[in-house]
Amino acid sequence: MPQLHVDNVTLSFGGLNALSTVSLTVPEGEVVSIIGPNGAGKTSLLNCISGFYHPTRGRITFGEHDLSKAAPNVVTRYGIARAFQNLELFRGMTVVENLLLARHTHLNYNLLDSILYYGKASRVEAENRHYVEQIIDFMELEEYRHHHVGTLAYGVQKRVEVARALTLQPKLLLLDEPMAGMNVEEKEDMVRFILDIQRERGVTVVLIEHDLGVVMDISDRVYVLDFGQLIAGGTPEDVSADPRVIEAYTGVAEHEPLPQASPSPAQAVAR
Amino acid sequence: MPASRFTQTGNYRVRYQQDQTIFATYAEQLSLVVLLLALLLLPLLISKTLLRDVNMIMIYAVAVIGLNVTTGYTGLINIGQAAFMAVGAYATALAATKLNLPFFLAIPLGGLAGAVVGTFVGLPSLRLKYLYLAVATLAFQIIFEWTVGHSPLLAQGGAIILPPVEVFGIKATFLNHNKVWYYIILPVLVVMGLLWRNILRSKHGRSFIAVRDNDRAAAAMGINPGVTKLTAFLVGSFFAGIAGGLFAYFQKAVVIEDYGLHTSVQLLAMAIVGGLGSVPGSFLGPLFIVALDRGMGGLSNFMSERQIFPPGVDAATALRPLAFGLSIMLFLIYEPRGLANWWRLSRMYFKKWPYKF
Repeated sequence: MPQLHVDNVTLSFGGLNALSTVSLTVPEGEVVSIIGPNGAGKTSLLNCISGFYHPTRGRITFGEHDLSKAAPNVVTRYGIARAFQNLELFRGMTVVENLLLARHTHLNYNLLDSILYYGKASRVEAENRHYVEQIIDFMELEEYRHHHVGTLAYGVQKRVEVARALTLQPKLLLLDEPMAGMNVEEKEDMVRFILDIQRERGVTVVLIEHDLGVVMDISDRVYVLDFGQLIAGGTPEDVSADPRVIEAYTGVAEHEPLPQASPSPAQAVAR
Repeated sequence: MPASRFTQTGNYRVRYQQDQTIFATYAEQLSLVVLLLALLLLPLLISKTLLRDVNMIMIYAVAVIGLNVTTGYTGLINIGQAAFMAVGAYATALAATKLNLPFFLAIPLGGLAGAVVGTFVGLPSLRLKYLYLAVATLAFQIIFEWTVGHSPLLAQGGAIILPPVEVFGIKATFLNHNKVWYYIILPVLVVMGLLWRNILRSKHGRSFIAVRDNDRAAAAMGINPGVTKLTAFLVGSFFAGIAGGLFAYFQKAVVIEDYGLHTSVQLLAMAIVGGLGSVPGSFLGPLFIVALDRGMGGLSNFMSERQIFPPGVDAATALRPLAFGLSIMLFLIYEPRGLANWWRLSRMYFKKWPYKF
């Protein structure tokens, strides 16, 4: 069973611990969200999983594969795909070219075949295109097929980014804030896509998202990071009731009485 | 039923393989045939000196395609392309003189030698990027020139004379040298151009562009950036090696001065003027630079006839680098996408003509 285990992972840059002894499990077929305030280490964790960073201590495993020292392109071959937070699309290429490119590891022909092209490469590329068209259909990108990615609206680019990750035929999909900067309609569309990806395609999804409403609605499991430490984990209901989570988000623990007296003018200015 | 296969308008592709075509409409295929026929008849129409220039342009075009592979498509700045050419030229010369191989084996051997050396020189690209890599390739250029200058096997950079060739019973002599080589270089250029176009529409071509545009995302797509960069050097220097082999035979001898830093810079200029990362640019760039060079020669002759300068002053020596540098600067400022962009725009226009879309 391909299952993602993060086991006591610590990631330090110099003296700073971006992650300290984080352990979590992503069971197959679930939507797992990682939430936390800005700078909590969510993207760092994703970078560790996808091989851009290597954990200083600890182990990350996916099924029988050890990801702790694996390069990004190797991690992708194991069946983990990633959509980036800041769009990392190939802006000079069209949507279709971006997706064709994503199937690189699935295309089984060598340099000699591509030099001759006619025959094997041509046949494989036609199959590739066929697959890509299915993804385009799935992600409803038909009308943008031959548009250059750089010219598309932000929301559509985000969709292309997810589509490209999906084209890799992953078992596990890492989505880093796929809904950031979107309006409500676009968010609803994206939520629908994520749920379809999980249910129709059987892909496990790890989601980083700031919109707590969305997270609580669609997640099977939620983990909360704060200052590089895992402070809570469990079902959405458990997590949203956890006092440490509320403290991390509001800066005030629930059991502490809220300040009653209105601040003096001097204090207000100081704030 | 398509309205007319001569235009793109009203034609629908119903299979994905149809979308892979390079020349889609009859109009494009016809223009290709006409162009090739015109090129086949060209030597009968133009003078011997002009034919020599055309040969030079075609050889440079092969090298510039190779430079476009590394610099244009993969984004690895390469200031050592002339040295890779030289590797091919010397390998060809040694194969022809020491092993007595015929030219049709010696030149591909030169290409392979170029590819092997190029891949090795490409190793720093695994760690270095941008200008730092440019310096590494520049270093190879300098080291190679020095090495040739100190090795007795390679005549210490002096001339290694190549034997004249014989094709289909026709022996290349002093009189028909340019014509014979025209008919050898042209098919080689066409085949090499097609090979590159094929790579470009396959996964390898896409991975080159991906590594150039965003190597982080390329890695996330499962593309190994290191292997891709080395493949780019392999392909690019193979083209350079072939060009070097052709150049060696065409010049009848290998001399290190032909493959100096100046040539490397000139090749880079051709790639920039033609348009980095474009196929037509690889042909238009060499055409422009060589034509500019000859044009300056003509201008200088004209000026000395009119006695604008005192007799004995050769204005061409000053005009050539001036025009060369100026044209690169103007292209970088006003048309960074090079001549290929003009080509693309005019093609777009005629593709749809007479319709608007």
